[in-house]
Amino acid sequence: MIDAEPEKPLPGTAAPRPGAPGDVGLVKPSDFVHAHPFTFGNGLTIPGFTLRYETYGRLNTTRDNAVLICHALSGDHHCAGWHAGEDRKPGWWNNLIGPGKAVDTGRFFVICANVLGGCQGSTGPSSVNPATGRPYGLDFPFVTISDMVRSQKLLLEHLGIAELHAVIGGSMGGMTATQFAIEFPGLVRRVLAMATTARESAQAIAFNEVGRQAIMQDPAWNRGAYPREGGPRVGLAIARMMAHITYLSDASMDRKFGRRRTQTGAPAADPGAGAPAAADIQFEVESYLRYQGQSFINRFDANTYLYITRALDQFDLALGKASLEAALAPVLAETLVVGFASDWLFPPEQNRAIVLALLRAGKRASYAELATDLGHDSFLLESEELYTLVRAFLEREQVVFDFAI
Amino acid sequence: MPKVIEKRTVDMQIIGDWVEPRACVLDLGCGRGQLLDYLVQTKQVSAIGVDLDLAKITACVRRGLVAYQGDMTGFMRAFPERHFDRVICSRTVHELNDPAEVILEALRVARAVTVGFVNHGYWKNRFNTLTRGRKVRNVIYPTEWFESRPANPVTIADFEDFCRVKGIRIARRAHLLGDWRKPCRALPNLLAGYALYDLAR
Repeated sequence: MIDAEPEKPLPGTAAPRPGAPGDVGLVKPSDFVHAHPFTFGNGLTIPGFTLRYETYGRLNTTRDNAVLICHALSGDHHCAGWHAGEDRKPGWWNNLIGPGKAVDTGRFFVICANVLGGCQGSTGPSSVNPATGRPYGLDFPFVTISDMVRSQKLLLEHLGIAELHAVIGGSMGGMTATQFAIEFPGLVRRVLAMATTARESAQAIAFNEVGRQAIMQDPAWNRGAYPREGGPRVGLAIARMMAHITYLSDASMDRKFGRRRTQTGAPAADPGAGAPAAADIQFEVESYLRYQGQSFINRFDANTYLYITRALDQFDLALGKASLEAALAPVLAETLVVGFASDWLFPPEQNRAIVLALLRAGKRASYAELATDLGHDSFLLESEELYTLVRAFLEREQVVFDFAI
Repeated sequence: MPKVIEKRTVDMQIIGDWVEPRACVLDLGCGRGQLLDYLVQTKQVSAIGVDLDLAKITACVRRGLVAYQGDMTGFMRAFPERHFDRVICSRTVHELNDPAEVILEALRVARAVTVGFVNHGYWKNRFNTLTRGRKVRNVIYPTEWFESRPANPVTIADFEDFCRVKGIRIARRAHLLGDWRKPCRALPNLLAGYALYDLAR
């Protein structure tokens, strides 16, 4: 996802609170400060960076039970548990991660970091440039998925982790997980990538470009130089509204909103009383999207949105290689890719393509598909089928395989 | 041991005898991965299963098998010639929309193709149809027509004719009597309950 917001609980189904069985409870983020220069893929350097991260569970004595969770475009390091008892929502993948859950924190040491270029505590365009004392803005180096991976590798070194039981992610997180297995093959034993792709399609780039234009055409953007509490709030909200549509599906929106009207949008009982004005909110789906846009601008930075959508658009594993299988040749991890039938942002075909290329390259890779109708955000779904699959992949007995074959 | 399980085991043993150790094996319609698991354990094969059902793919993943959820022809088209050593199509052919396309595609991506099927020419099946005038029902096919998947019953005579017409070489064949255990030595289309073929181009 790109969407970090779990579905609102249905009326009558109270959200689990901290301390509920299967919940990691109250958690606190930590900061990893890398006080050495970091060079991006394009050759530009920053003097150092911070990654904000959370961990759940305990690293075992053999240090081989670590699971890295990779977030999507608008996600962050807070993927499970609660920051405070009065939080409205837990971490974005709380349904999947916790004691006894599919990613069992009683068994695994789970790590999740906000990506480099992010805006939730990790260094990004809104961070202060030590050279100028002002936010980097557009002076921040162009970030790629590979840069995100290499910076998180430094975090793993800091935590003393030389082997990951698994890297798990959906959407952009799936790209990050795959990239991890290519760049650090010896580190990654399993890759679990969901609702993802080996390269952004023209359609996905097109959606991102509309979002970027909404931001950049907002006068408050000011070529990226805006005050911390200001910026292109209108543009960012529109970008989010548009993007949010691509995370859902026709069927799920119809089920959730249909053509239901808001109070102001209800057709007048007396036809003479006048129809709602063209500028008024008329349908519930409009109200929902405006809410999504408004809540997004309070937690997300517009420049980060530009940078990370660019990182997504640039992502193409096969770029500069003879083929996708050539790009995947270094992988040693066993991979499971999960596609979702109704995902029209990264459709099943693009998920299958990763597995087929891995298999052609002689790797161990499986593909499973869920027939949900919730669109791209299906990977955040509360689904026993998905949990069973994730558990089967993470917890089965380790097979010994001979890479020489 | 229930009769059905026992029959499945016989199928597995013969296929296991034909599979070369450490071969790269693709199982079309792999189900929950019993056959591939057996081949991994007895022949150390490198195994890939294809099936349409999520629960079956999940069961394969739990066994540590590589599995792909999707259409078998579409899957094979993604691979170059002779990518696999052997493709296995065990008790699947009668449910395929286009069996010729699947078998020919399998012969493109592998050196050898193993096909196993229930012989609907077996005398008990003929007798069953003749006397009852109904869809064949027995321990293997226990369901009524309205609760069964679409099936395209095949006989040994049909299958050998298919191979002749398509120019497919039959490298090995195994015909088993109604108990699926003892070899059938004469009149297989009438006397064999189960047939296994090892095909090559």
